[in-house]
Amino acid sequence: MRTRRARRASRIAKRIASHAVLILACLFAVFPIYFIAVTSFSTIPIAGITASILVPKPSELTLSSYDFVLFHYYPSFVSLLTNSLIFAGSAAAIGLLLAAFTGYALSKFNFPGRRTFVYFILLISLFPSFLLILPLYFTFKDLGLIDTYLGLIIPYSAGAVVFSGILVKNYMDSIPDDIEEAALIDGLGRTEAFFRVLLPLCYPILGLAAFLAFIGPYTDYAMANVFITSNNLWTLALGLYHLNSTDTGVQPYGLVTAFAIVMSLPIVVAYMVFQRYIIGGLTLGSVRG
Amino acid sequence: MADLRDQTLGFRLRREWPAYIYLVPTTLVLLFLNAYPIAYTVYISLTNFGIGRNYFTYQYIGLTNYTYALTTGATTSLTLVENSFFWAGGCVALFLLVGLGLASVMNQDLRGKTIYRTVILLPWAFPAFITILVWANMWGYEYGIINAMLGTIGIHKVDWILGGADTAWVTLFVTNVWLSFPFYTVVFLATMQAIPKDLYEAASIDGAGTLSKFGRITLPYLMPTVVFVGLMGFLFTFNNFYPIYLITNGGPGIATQIFITESYSQAFGAVGSHPAYATAAVYSVLDFLIISALTMVVIWRTDLTRNWLK
Repeated sequence: MRTRRARRASRIAKRIASHAVLILACLFAVFPIYFIAVTSFSTIPIAGITASILVPKPSELTLSSYDFVLFHYYPSFVSLLTNSLIFAGSAAAIGLLLAAFTGYALSKFNFPGRRTFVYFILLISLFPSFLLILPLYFTFKDLGLIDTYLGLIIPYSAGAVVFSGILVKNYMDSIPDDIEEAALIDGLGRTEAFFRVLLPLCYPILGLAAFLAFIGPYTDYAMANVFITSNNLWTLALGLYHLNSTDTGVQPYGLVTAFAIVMSLPIVVAYMVFQRYIIGGLTLGSVRG
Repeated sequence: MADLRDQTLGFRLRREWPAYIYLVPTTLVLLFLNAYPIAYTVYISLTNFGIGRNYFTYQYIGLTNYTYALTTGATTSLTLVENSFFWAGGCVALFLLVGLGLASVMNQDLRGKTIYRTVILLPWAFPAFITILVWANMWGYEYGIINAMLGTIGIHKVDWILGGADTAWVTLFVTNVWLSFPFYTVVFLATMQAIPKDLYEAASIDGAGTLSKFGRITLPYLMPTVVFVGLMGFLFTFNNFYPIYLITNGGPGIATQIFITESYSQAFGAVGSHPAYATAAVYSVLDFLIISALTMVVIWRTDLTRNWLK
């Protein structure tokens, strides 16, 4: 009797402890995001921030920071967004194509030199991308590409190629060769079979590859800061960094966080939509270890 | 007979040649945007580009920069090595601890598990560049929300970022754990859920307790994933630029400076003074040498390339 009761008590204690740990983890995870959200609706400057900002009165909430960021900021938000979409969108399109080709060649062909090629891309991808900024800067300066759209799209497009290529390869490995062979028997050429049969089957992983190729350039500061000098080519990341670093403590802190929210929104939405694929795609390789 | 013919190079080439065409764009891109710049970096590191007065007319000076970095500049170089390893090692240790801990708590029948999972994954949905900027403000001495909250429970303001190396590292570690623990928790949880349930049932019948089940079943099963994810995390964190650059910028002094942030600052950070391109290149090359050696270990300790080549 006693042992059973004791066991039951310890089970309940364990459950309470588990919930406590998870609630703490959730608070930790949510806190900065809550802080961003709540300050974005207030007019308090950073110099006036106290703990009471975390529990604002509904009457104090305002959209004025959003209004400023979206309509009165210079360079205009529309221009920053357009530039970011041009840079990241082009890079994602090119990166996607490269990843699809690489994955296909590595997955469905057993060509001589395959092992060497994998070692080559592995070694190349090791060099930290931030360290490429310096040599690329001089190369692109010589080519007259500094402060142009092309000058940033080109270096961005290689960002996720190796990683995404491997992701696509792993995914294609799981598609039986019969499907390609059936398409060949139906009279399609091998190229046609790739574009019209194999690629459509890879949409989930291609979506992830595009997302990964997009998010890097979209949130890049280090390279854009060096490669872009004129205001009209500024990206969202440069705009946010500038807004944050010129904060004198007088303007509402909400300007920075409202900007952060608007800039994050597309990524958060894409993340929610693709969540299953993103987690699946990124954990697949790791879990198999 | 057919098998034998399959093996000949000519036959394979005739059948597999389209692969090369598909690889041409990627190869060109990687050669132009990665291989060539790497070689260029090595070259710059062997010149006096941007050091002192030789801004426009620089010349080849051999290994002078390296000799300097390892003798006169040895204190700085050593600090960078130590900091890079401390940063990567400390972060990975925390990632594994928090990730494994939370995953094992979540790997049981609990009400609201999906809600917990969704909330814990939230930090991952926001771009790191943005959240790091806000974290940097949150750690602020005068106006940071963290000090404001500590104030409400009677704790004096802490100068987290500039007050000293210890507190600066704390801000970096806490921020980076926030950025990364969702990923580690999800990976470990997924691995744990793949462990066959009957193993635990059999162990229960044999009278094993929670701890001994964790030690005898869960941990051995998790080990390959822990090693792989841990090593990859180490390689990534070793060159994780934004947390340090945006929060402490290597400070106070160079107490939290790592190779990659020092290299960037040497090249592009010094406003008004001469950018030391050659010094930046030297740190880049040293960083690359260390990372390559570590990667050899990863390849040797895990079946990374075998996975890729399958």
